Amino acid sequence: MNRLWPAVARVTDSALGPYQTAVLRIGVALTWLLFLLREYPHRQELYGPDSPWSWDLAAQLVGANDAFTVLLWSDSQVWFEAVYALAVLFSLLLLLGWRTRTMTALFMVGVLSLQNRSVFMGDGGDNVLHLMAIYLLFTRCGHVWSLDARRARRAARARARGERTHDAVGPALWAVLGVVLLLGSLAGRTDGDWFIPALLWAVWLGQAGWWLAGRLARTDQPRILLDVVGNVAHNGALLVIMAEACLIYATAGWYKVQGSRWQDGTAVHYPLHLEYFSPWPSLAGLLTASGTLVMLVTYVTVVVQVAFPFTLFNRRVKNVLLGFMILEHAVIAVVLGLPFFSLAMIAADAVFLPTSFLCRAGRLAARARGRLRPRGDAVPVPPPRRPDGPPGRPSAVGPAQAAPVTDGVPGPRT
Amino acid sequence: MDAQDRGSDARHGPAEPGVPGPRTPLPAPTAPADGTDVSDETDRTGGTDRADGPAVPVGAQDQPGGVEQPPGAQMPSDSPRTGIAALSPPYRIGAALALAAVAVTVCVHLGMAFLHVAPPNTVSKKHSETIADWIYPEFEQNWKLFAPNPLQQNVSVQVRAEIRWPDGSRRTTGWYDLSAQDGRDIDGNPAPSHTQQNELRRAWDFYVSTHDDDNRPVGLRGALSESYLRRIMALRLDRADAAGPHGEVARVQVRSRTTQVPPPEWSGEKASDEAEYRELPWWPLPEGETRGGVG
Repeated sequence: MNRLWPAVARVTDSALGPYQTAVLRIGVALTWLLFLLREYPHRQELYGPDSPWSWDLAAQLVGANDAFTVLLWSDSQVWFEAVYALAVLFSLLLLLGWRTRTMTALFMVGVLSLQNRSVFMGDGGDNVLHLMAIYLLFTRCGHVWSLDARRARRAARARARGERTHDAVGPALWAVLGVVLLLGSLAGRTDGDWFIPALLWAVWLGQAGWWLAGRLARTDQPRILLDVVGNVAHNGALLVIMAEACLIYATAGWYKVQGSRWQDGTAVHYPLHLEYFSPWPSLAGLLTASGTLVMLVTYVTVVVQVAFPFTLFNRRVKNVLLGFMILEHAVIAVVLGLPFFSLAMIAADAVFLPTSFLCRAGRLAARARGRLRPRGDAVPVPPPRRPDGPPGRPSAVGPAQAAPVTDGVPGPRT
Repeated sequence: MDAQDRGSDARHGPAEPGVPGPRTPLPAPTAPADGTDVSDETDRTGGTDRADGPAVPVGAQDQPGGVEQPPGAQMPSDSPRTGIAALSPPYRIGAALALAAVAVTVCVHLGMAFLHVAPPNTVSKKHSETIADWIYPEFEQNWKLFAPNPLQQNVSVQVRAEIRWPDGSRRTTGWYDLSAQDGRDIDGNPAPSHTQQNELRRAWDFYVSTHDDDNRPVGLRGALSESYLRRIMALRLDRADAAGPHGEVARVQVRSRTTQVPPPEWSGEKASDEAEYRELPWWPLPEGETRGGVG
């Protein structure tokens, strides 16, 4: 019990890895947003009612596999355009972290609706986004780097000044969603697989519960309990996300080990010469000109993919490998013409980045933004120093102290 | 849920990182801004295990697990109580139940996902139905990326059409190499569209995987894949203006042309440079597709 209690307290008292989940949220939402914008000219062919994978064909397949998609609620052009536009909007709002929990739900609906409508248009990148969109729903990914965080800060300052704050947008949004959910359910549109509709109802009820616990309850106990439940769900989802990333690499790696081309060191040559994956043939030719180089890249790819899950037990090795993975995906993005797949994988990789690194990146981004938009209207008054905050320069309390917990991984020392 | 997270209650004043942008132009921003950043970071990641607040005994400093920390560390009186330590016994049971439910769900889900992606084995064969029930439809996944071996063939999907003219005469076109067209669209394209990179490629894979060697469809998916491939052909032929301004496409025939990717020069390997063809039967186009009408 003595050893168990701190672990229990750790996963119940806080949502671990706030920066990691925030960067995952931003990465996943950005990938899907860029994808939707890039495919905007092709949207009819991909997901429209008259696409080659027509509404009828999709309805037959979904009738058989029960996947969730609102696009099959109607075969009208207007409905399709509306869903596509909303999917764009939801990914932008999730990226910004506006009403994050609601947006994770709506973002998930957008991703699943489009992807399940035309499953044969997708690739590995869509698969990653599909899973992450569902997992994100369980996380509290708006704690930092979000409009929600900014609103919470402003509300806290207002409270500190003794002002009353009230939020009309939240309940309004909640009410609209409730009506849509109810109409969808009553119309029998959610009669397929129960899982996604149940999730949406659970989020909706959970938000009502959270609101009531904050307003009506006589004690703070219900609110604390809901907070604990939220933390536990978040931490569980974070673990699943990390395990999922390991599963991706492990599967990709272990299956490769069995392949003769990965064994004889020529595998990397082949995808680079496939018609569908060679946007820059001359670059591909250059990269595969040396047999030794190709052999090295082939072997290192397999080794890194197989090894990655195990390196999580050692912070430093993990970070080196992580950097390598991200670099490799950046190369894949260009050389194989798979930018959205690569971006999705990099977003998933980012949950393993150390907090100190993410904070530094965040400060750089903020500084760059400040230089671009030096109006300073967002925070009119510099906030007071925290009295018990660590004094002195950041380097004194930077990586050294932050190191032990930087990853927010519920595992040992990562 | 969005509006009042613990974060908003827990702290009064100090700004969070990530949005310090507007602060930077201020005279002496570095120390306070960065200082709060770091303290905030530990606030969030470590919860009560972390040692930067007054709540935690000094002994727990820098211990990732925080193992030395006594249960139910006393909270500072001025901040709202949070966490399981602040719950009364009945509510603690609720928290414990939630923790147990999440722990079980996480373990089961990861187990199912593992068995789903692992090669068929003793356990997954025995429980295949349970695994499928859990995984499908939303958690399906395939991570055999270029594995076990990368594809070593270029499969070109080609089509020719029989055009019907207004005077009733018919003419058969030459073969259109649609994959080569996709390849040209992808060349020099930093972000190829799924319509160029996946549509035809995956439609052909879908067809092949749902038909036997004599092109007989297997099940519902076989029939769907035929309609799908036919509609793609109608779309592409219309784009290529195969029927001209007055004709219409009466029938189409699809074939695949498979060639080996030449092995690298330095490997000394030789691969056949002969193409293999698979020709499908002629398919008549239904009324709505003879003049495009797809996409």
